[in-house]
Amino acid sequence: MLIHSINIVQKMSCLYKLCGAVVLSLMLLLSNSQVKAQDSASAPAAAAPAGGGGGDVEKGKTLFTNNCAQCHSITAEKVVGPGLKGIESRTPGKDWLHKWIRNSSAVIASGDAYANQVFNANGKVQMSSFPSLSDADIDGILAYIAQGDKPAVASTGGDTSKNTEGTGGGSASVGGPSELFTFVLIALLVIMLLVLGVLLVIVTILSKAVSPVTTTDGTQIPSSFGQRMKTGLSDAFNNPTLRSVVIWLFLLVVTKATIDGAYSVGIQQGYAPKQPIAYSHKLHAGQYKIDCNYCHTGAQKGKSATIPAANICMNCHGVIKKESPEIQKIYTAIENNQPIEWIRVHNLPDLAYFNHAQHVNVGNVACQTCHGEIEKMEVVEARSSLTMGWCIDCHRRTEVNTKDNAYYDKLVALHRKESKEPLKVANIGGLECSKCHY
Amino acid sequence: MFSIKMITKHTSITALAIVGLLFVGSACKKGHDNTGVVYAPQMYEPVGYEPYRQSRANTINVRENGLNMRLPARGTVARPNYHTTFGTGANKTTDLMMYNIPADSIGIAERVLTNPIADSEKMQAEGQVLYTRYCSHCHGATGKGDGPVAKEYKGVPNYSTDAYKTMNDGHIFHVITHGKGRMWPHGSQITPEDRWKIVQYVHKLQQG
Repeated sequence: MLIHSINIVQKMSCLYKLCGAVVLSLMLLLSNSQVKAQDSASAPAAAAPAGGGGGDVEKGKTLFTNNCAQCHSITAEKVVGPGLKGIESRTPGKDWLHKWIRNSSAVIASGDAYANQVFNANGKVQMSSFPSLSDADIDGILAYIAQGDKPAVASTGGDTSKNTEGTGGGSASVGGPSELFTFVLIALLVIMLLVLGVLLVIVTILSKAVSPVTTTDGTQIPSSFGQRMKTGLSDAFNNPTLRSVVIWLFLLVVTKATIDGAYSVGIQQGYAPKQPIAYSHKLHAGQYKIDCNYCHTGAQKGKSATIPAANICMNCHGVIKKESPEIQKIYTAIENNQPIEWIRVHNLPDLAYFNHAQHVNVGNVACQTCHGEIEKMEVVEARSSLTMGWCIDCHRRTEVNTKDNAYYDKLVALHRKESKEPLKVANIGGLECSKCHY
Repeated sequence: MFSIKMITKHTSITALAIVGLLFVGSACKKGHDNTGVVYAPQMYEPVGYEPYRQSRANTINVRENGLNMRLPARGTVARPNYHTTFGTGANKTTDLMMYNIPADSIGIAERVLTNPIADSEKMQAEGQVLYTRYCSHCHGATGKGDGPVAKEYKGVPNYSTDAYKTMNDGHIFHVITHGKGRMWPHGSQITPEDRWKIVQYVHKLQQG
């Protein structure tokens, strides 16, 4: 009973911690959405009114969105190229702009002073040429820029309100599941309390049952509660049935714990080491939806899925977030020609052979089948046990994708003669020892 | 039950306390930073040198800080681990796809290169898979330059606009291999065969 109550007390403290964590995370979520709402409220101030030009504004807007918006904004904000607010007043004139937009490299090569100044001021990034734009097209674009975002002001306002509504809805929907979670927690708490109550009742019944019995040497019945409890307890200790029950229970529990402990030897499920760089799969694979294969290029081709070399990081981080201290670690590694020592999370013992290409490319197994929901992990954790039982279980369950693959035709025909079940991995040698152990 | 009579009251209380402690002990699971106990580690750790498993410094490659992974010798030519022959019968074409055009000579690539893989539904479908894998997070699923990363990266073009819709095989292949403008080279990640399949799919996206 003591044991039980200790356990219960432990579980209760865990519950309190969980409750605390839930409340904290809810508060964080709410404060986040408030910040977002404030940000979006201050956004429309950027729009600025300006005079009109001499071109078709509507056509210009379409052309601008299709051809220019990737690198330029119509405000003063620099995207890749400079912001285009007031472009006509700061450049040598419309004719120069026509030439520049159609082929900026030619204008720079001709030695034009202003062109070279702009080119050098923007990190010598060459602007794409647009030879197919007519004078009227360019005038339209310029007119659209000159007009600014005037008609769009209203729509920006609309967007803002939509945004705030969106974030409000978001926090509400986030609140939904966590409310359910707290409900479940409270239900658990109530059940725990009930169990505790039942246990207490048993204790009192026992002590009551024991209390009227006089001690062996025939002295009077103890009057105070403490003394009664004391005799009750000593009687309980002296009761052979109760003692043996307690001892047997203890032995059973110890045996169970020992067997569990022995089975967890060599299993690294839940292993989530701190990596040298705080890389988040949740951000890259989850939020930005970068395919696993983009970085782990070996998964489709070889035994190892490969850990990306720094050059793959640089494909994006040559431009994005260069100043972040975590990204600077990659830069330092490249400059010093030192490898980044990532810590391996999934350690399959050397005695078992595993090949990524075989499973991912041929078998069409999704990464998440074995690695769990990587796209939701801030720190990668070993989600699967990687035991032989786990492998075998999947080989028994998984059907072979034989469609459009002539290699399997005869195997499928042979298998059909023997069984009505579909061809499983187990049927093509997925349970043979020497497939993985040699 | 055998030696129970020998146990005094006090020792049984201590025994109970020990049991309680054992329970508390077994409730504590191993930490997240701990790989736990391994039975017979010599069966777990490789005897040979493996690229991603290194439990001790490599005594042979002392010059490069005892790393297992090594660069190939200078001047090594990679054996193509991709198809070099396409089509059947009279349509059969062979191309080793050795790409030696320097990064700054995109003009040569535009003039000289043509896609060795014949245009077909199957190749386009494969191209789409590869495009989704390697390109779409920036260039967007439809090539409009509106992928989720493009919002951060900025300056990702729309394939179907004037300046981009006429770009030919050689140009696209060269840009994937060596990068251009803000885009960094992707030649190390994608085999030439896969790049050509992507080129085919990009042509489809250029039509809008």
